Amino acid sequence: MFRQNKRRIASRRNFDSYESNTDSLNDNKVILTSNNPEEEKRLYDTIYSSKLSFYEQQPQGEITLEQFETWAIARLKILLEIESGISRNKNLSEIETLIKPQFQKFLPLNSDNFIDKKKDYYSHYILRLCFCRTKELREKFIRAETFLFKIRFQMLTSSDQIKFVQSLNLPLLQFISDQEKTKLSKELYQTVSPQLQFQLNLVDEQQKQNYFHGEKFIKLPFENVIEMVGNRSVFLKDGYAYLPQFQQLNLIANEFANQLQEQLIKTFQYLPRLNEDDRLVPILNHLSSGYTISDFNQNSNHYGNNDEGDINAESVWSENISKHYPLSVRNLFKGLKENHHLRYYGRQQLSLFLKGIGLSADESMKFWTKAFTSGGHITLDKFNKEYRYNFRHNYGLEGNRINYKPWDCKTILSKPRPGRGDFHGCPFRDWGADKLTVELAKMGLTKTQITSVLDSCEKGEYIVANTKVFEYTHTFSGNESEKNGLTLMDHPNLYFERSRQLEKK
Amino acid sequence: MSVASPADMEHYYQNCYPFPAIFSWLNRQNESKRNDLKDNCIRTREFAMAFRSGAYKRYNSVSTLPEFKEMVVKFNPDRFEIGAMYNKPPKDREILMKSELVAKSKELVFDIDMDDYDAFRTCCQGAQVCDKCWKFITLAIEVINVALKDDFGFHDMIWVYSGRRGAHCWCNDERAMQLTDMQRRNVLDYLNVIRDRSLSKRLALKRPYHPHLLRSLNMLKPYFMEFILEEQDPWRNDNDALKTLLPNLSDKNLTDALTKYWVSDEPNRSSLDKWNDIDEFASNLKFNSPQRRKDFMYRLKDWKEDIVLLILYPKLDIEVTRQLIHLLKAPFCIHPATGNVCVPIEPSTFTPDKAPKVSTILEEFNNNNSNDRSSKSLQPFIDYFQDHVTNFNNDFNKKRKLDSIEVKTEIKTETKVE
Repeated sequence: MFRQNKRRIASRRNFDSYESNTDSLNDNKVILTSNNPEEEKRLYDTIYSSKLSFYEQQPQGEITLEQFETWAIARLKILLEIESGISRNKNLSEIETLIKPQFQKFLPLNSDNFIDKKKDYYSHYILRLCFCRTKELREKFIRAETFLFKIRFQMLTSSDQIKFVQSLNLPLLQFISDQEKTKLSKELYQTVSPQLQFQLNLVDEQQKQNYFHGEKFIKLPFENVIEMVGNRSVFLKDGYAYLPQFQQLNLIANEFANQLQEQLIKTFQYLPRLNEDDRLVPILNHLSSGYTISDFNQNSNHYGNNDEGDINAESVWSENISKHYPLSVRNLFKGLKENHHLRYYGRQQLSLFLKGIGLSADESMKFWTKAFTSGGHITLDKFNKEYRYNFRHNYGLEGNRINYKPWDCKTILSKPRPGRGDFHGCPFRDWGADKLTVELAKMGLTKTQITSVLDSCEKGEYIVANTKVFEYTHTFSGNESEKNGLTLMDHPNLYFERSRQLEKK
Repeated sequence: MSVASPADMEHYYQNCYPFPAIFSWLNRQNESKRNDLKDNCIRTREFAMAFRSGAYKRYNSVSTLPEFKEMVVKFNPDRFEIGAMYNKPPKDREILMKSELVAKSKELVFDIDMDDYDAFRTCCQGAQVCDKCWKFITLAIEVINVALKDDFGFHDMIWVYSGRRGAHCWCNDERAMQLTDMQRRNVLDYLNVIRDRSLSKRLALKRPYHPHLLRSLNMLKPYFMEFILEEQDPWRNDNDALKTLLPNLSDKNLTDALTKYWVSDEPNRSSLDKWNDIDEFASNLKFNSPQRRKDFMYRLKDWKEDIVLLILYPKLDIEVTRQLIHLLKAPFCIHPATGNVCVPIEPSTFTPDKAPKVSTILEEFNNNNSNDRSSKSLQPFIDYFQDHVTNFNNDFNKKRKLDSIEVKTEIKTETKVE
């Protein structure tokens, strides 16, 4: 930041060349100029005339390095807050309540303040630079930005919403005629009725009917609202989905996400041209690393360090080690012990977990060979023929030689649910209340604690449930600050490592 | 059990397997093109060979019908499978960079397996199947067919017997072929209502039912009494009733009373009796107000509807459908364990005992004089399949022509760059 003045001219020149490269990409869209402040102000006023933006034209003005960093950090704080809400399985309106107070502090956008608009616009683009590099980062960024977009859309007045939607000029927003609506009214009402209740809080049947009566429906190919097909929240007929207008945000947000996805990939392709700059790159690196701090997967140092050297094929069965396993892993061990076998997803989930806690490839082979063959129904020969490859593959010793990472909770929850005779998955989602109660009692939880865990399960907050179990089964040496600093247990290996760390203290 | 020897298999592929029909089915997009524009789209189609030893050879491809037959006869696999169409011929995979070979399209496929019905199936267990329990599959096919037609607007589906205890659906509409992984997953989620197969949790579907569920319920309800309660009688065993019936009623007073009655007072009552007991006991429950009673009766009706769906709604094997690159056994293959031919089926009339066995076909072939190459028991299925393909190709041509006249709304499919 000290070199700001000295480098100013040079940086300017470089920045120009960077942009002349990108603009050729950008379908000849008008580019924001900063030649005179009045003009610039007018530009931002047009962009934000409906108080929301798709960020279609890249900024070309000049900002200080300090602005560059602080604006980006401000936006990042908001996105992190959203991300943590998503991982707690909060829904849109819950996250909205969480975020609203933060807006005023970090990213105010309700006033007519020109600087606020500029800040919003630039910070979005700066973070694009940070998060375009890997698929994981892009996905996270798109998820959080799309959420932010949705929240802001909902905060608009309905007249502003209409104005904004019109400004987008999306060809897909075609409303059906009154005749068509009347003809399909029974089916359409059946489809939207639960949503009216849960999203708009209309409980009374009459209220719902009234709302439905005044609602318009959009008809479009089902592929365009495919997520809403998956959770059956649209009515389908002959390949078309019927989307109530109050759900149009989903469609618009999809469009937003798709465009952002495309843009991020373009940005990624052009990123090398930025390498002139030894002032921006460190900031960008710093920013994107801060974003993944809670991400266990990204940080390979965090797992697989068998520091004590006490993780081997035998010890993983021992009380000393296994008392640190989360419930899902205990369940896998139980299944393995009883059946001397696990089906594919169970094998994957457990073997990668064990890899994560530092079980070496050799020890892993010993472990699985013994576990499978000791039951008597699988011979060593059969094991070598049918399973060995699978386990070696997980360690990157076969096939594509990919170094697979242990599954985090999100991955586990995304896999097919366990059927009978399966032990993979997440107990908090897959078990009934009775079985959970019994197993949690075995882990030493009290009745009230169990109720609280079951509560989270009921709400679909499986990761929170897991975190609660962790808190209830560990003592924090009276040091409350340590407890407050607890992160969500969104990874079985994180659970294990934290549990061991606490024990050492 | 009539398991075919390698020599039998070779004989079957050489003389009986309907390569021309399968070839034109897979190559159909071509049939519509003008001759000079034809560029065999089958070239990019992946085939995989599964061998007796358990070995599995992926990424084979062919360009012509003779090549197709030659490949299968040469490898003489236990069965062969059909995969996606790629941007380049999959057999060139060795000389391409890995990222250069990208799957582009494939039929939308579904797999229904009797395994998933075992908790409510009493006539057979495991790998066995009979006319009685095949009704589960018949009903499942009907429900899926209607949903694919009425909801998604697909028309060209063919169902194929899997050779033992299930059926595969191949949906060939161009729009279905083009679905991305993400879209396939969502179509599947739409259709896959019974996601949790462990039966340890109540279904708890939202009310009112989505139109697709309501329609399915109305299709299935008429069969529940006779087929499930009387014929399969899954809850005669009191333990089974406690495990698979009671968890779906979430009222403790009611389930406690029923548990006591079924276990200690009157063990071994039939499923029909038990089903009626639920209403009987419910009407004896005490409520604080008539309104409470009314509400409870509504909820009881909901629970019972959920149970009908839980048992009879199609249980799909999700892996097959989810991914574009997933392979599925080709029609007319021989099931290695049963010797049954995996024939295309007319869902309303088919039962597994109608599937021809490879031994019968080979016998017929040997008894024929050398001019007659057809097999009496296989030919009707080949004709059925051929008719389907021909109809499809005609429709396809008609539609192509229409498309070129009127400009249709463009359907955007996402392309993932990675």
